[in-house]
Amino acid sequence: MYKLFLAGRYTLGRPVSYLAMVAIGLAVMALIAVAGIMNGFLAETERVIRGTTADVIVTPFPWDGEVPSRAKVAEVIEAHPSVKAAAPRFSRPAVFKMRGRDSAMGLSKFAEHFMVSVVGIDVENESRATEFDAYLAAVRNNPEGEGYAVESMERPFRLDRGRIRDPELRFAPLPRVLMAHSRMLSFGLKVGDALEIVTIPDSSDLDSKSFDASTSTFVIAGAYDTSYDKFDGATLFVPREDFPAWAGTDQEFNEVAVQAVEGADLEALKHDLEESLERELRMAFEVETWEDRHATWLGAVKNERNILFVLFGFFLLLVCTITFSVLTMLVQQKVRDIGILSSMGATAGGIGAVFALSGVMIATLGGLFGLLAGELLAAKLNTVKDWIEATFGVQIFDRRVYAFSEIPMDNDHLLNLGITGVTVIAAVFICLIPALRAAWLDPVDALRHE
Amino acid sequence: MSDVHPPAAKELVLDARGLTRRYRMGATQLDVLQGAELQLARGEIVAIIGRSGVGKSTLLHLLGLLDRPDAGSMKLAGVETTKLSKAARARLRNQHVGFVFQFYHLFPELSALENAMLPGMITHRFFAWRSKRAGVRERAKALLERLELGERLKHKPGQLSGGERQRVAIARALAGRPSLLLCDEPTGNLDERTSESITNLLLDLAREHGQSLVLVTHDPELARRADRCLTMHEGRLVPAEVATEIAHPSASPASGSPE
Repeated sequence: MYKLFLAGRYTLGRPVSYLAMVAIGLAVMALIAVAGIMNGFLAETERVIRGTTADVIVTPFPWDGEVPSRAKVAEVIEAHPSVKAAAPRFSRPAVFKMRGRDSAMGLSKFAEHFMVSVVGIDVENESRATEFDAYLAAVRNNPEGEGYAVESMERPFRLDRGRIRDPELRFAPLPRVLMAHSRMLSFGLKVGDALEIVTIPDSSDLDSKSFDASTSTFVIAGAYDTSYDKFDGATLFVPREDFPAWAGTDQEFNEVAVQAVEGADLEALKHDLEESLERELRMAFEVETWEDRHATWLGAVKNERNILFVLFGFFLLLVCTITFSVLTMLVQQKVRDIGILSSMGATAGGIGAVFALSGVMIATLGGLFGLLAGELLAAKLNTVKDWIEATFGVQIFDRRVYAFSEIPMDNDHLLNLGITGVTVIAAVFICLIPALRAAWLDPVDALRHE
Repeated sequence: MSDVHPPAAKELVLDARGLTRRYRMGATQLDVLQGAELQLARGEIVAIIGRSGVGKSTLLHLLGLLDRPDAGSMKLAGVETTKLSKAARARLRNQHVGFVFQFYHLFPELSALENAMLPGMITHRFFAWRSKRAGVRERAKALLERLELGERLKHKPGQLSGGERQRVAIARALAGRPSLLLCDEPTGNLDERTSESITNLLLDLAREHGQSLVLVTHDPELARRADRCLTMHEGRLVPAEVATEIAHPSASPASGSPE
């Protein structure tokens, strides 16, 4: 009985024990928060990339012959049992400038333009194959999105002429464009403003010293929000039917976004589609999963998460060093007590157990404190971030850098328990060294200890 | 008073024969005990006197099973101890031996009552403690009250005087009802008045409970009140008067005076 009793008194009666507990707790808390952020970052990256990219993207290889119709390609793709929907569409790099906002700073014409990817979509197909509807709804459901949402979810490119802000453009049959909400806010654009979007038409000879550019004026019909800042900052949606005239192409599509059924094996689907498209349409298609397309970015995020395990190793080392130091100090201070305990009949194992239990208490209480604090921090991370930013006037999370509007957090309780458990076990294990030293101490030497 | 053996026909609590203990300090070998012998009857009080460094504390550590002799045998409560395992010696120590030290050696984190309860806590395992706790507590409390510390039960050692601390140490030593009490200069750190009070209490309690007592002391007054008084000479225990004779031959009539 004395083992638990003395361990409790030794542990709870010394301020240094509480310091050790706090240190262990902070280490566990930090690790839980970092693990949550890294997992959240990866999960959110995967979610938004998958949502904005579709599960699988099918691209026809450059082809001199006639590309099959989009209906035929979609039919072959949708014949696969793992495919839920296929949306042929266009995607092309372009630059845009805000109409009527010519710079007065003497910048070159090109400096007034912004790089962008223009995606020509069929709304119905796109909604089936990607999260397109959700992106429109995100603006509609956001209180700050008032005045930016599309007029109709079914016909998002529809815009009442009266809302076109430049009176000169009200009666021109201008195509519409959807722009990211965050982008509109940063440029100070409103629904009804016009953009001049420039691309290089297929007819241009890129080998010549100069080539023609194709410029069209588009009117902003509304905003979307994927919450993936990297995508939002660089993507404009236009109706697929307006795309060929602007882009100077006679094709019907240049890629197909494919939505797979829930739980489908995307790698298997990719290979099946490559085979079936080549077999049925007699031409080669490149089929990429969303992970293939963003392999570099995802790889970087996964790599950062893996670095976490190295970090975990350092945290464990820190925790073990702290616990070891505190226990070694305790044994050093209690040498005389060890002699007295021996004189009263305590066995060497019992004496060792007193100090091992003391280590268990420090590690367990510290670990529990860390688990609770970590869970709390994980739950309130963005509130804490907002408070720090508001109180100290510093920006600790820049959405432009990290591509998300808030710190992503995937709070995995099981992982948190694992982190705490491994930390506690490591700390307890290291405590066995000073505990064994106490057990092996000669009682006579201990009694004579000054 | 001066015999190295206890009165015949009495039950022996301790029977140590030929105890040898040597220490090696570099190239030098120090023979501290060279065949020391001590038999102690139940309830008997023996004082061991002698100058510092002659091996009194070493002997006490051997008698209390804290150390092993290099040679010799020792029976405690009828059990031959020299071949016992460490754990078995610890159990025997818990059941039969109580220590009182010069510097009290109390646990500063524990109250007087908790200090006195510690031997009981060591005796009983975790699961048995619930049923034994009240008995152990009552025994410790009764001893502390008997030692006039009834008002100080919850006081930590830092809140007690030297005499009070030694009384707590005595209560702790007696709490496990040991058959043998080993006291290493129990009054060595106390003033004369407190020393006398502690001596009275210690001897009275030992006699009350029928416990055998080995007292290592420099205090001649305390030694005089023991049943026997021995001293260490050349690593052996000898009657105190004999030692005096050896040390000062001319002072003893037995040595043959020129007169």
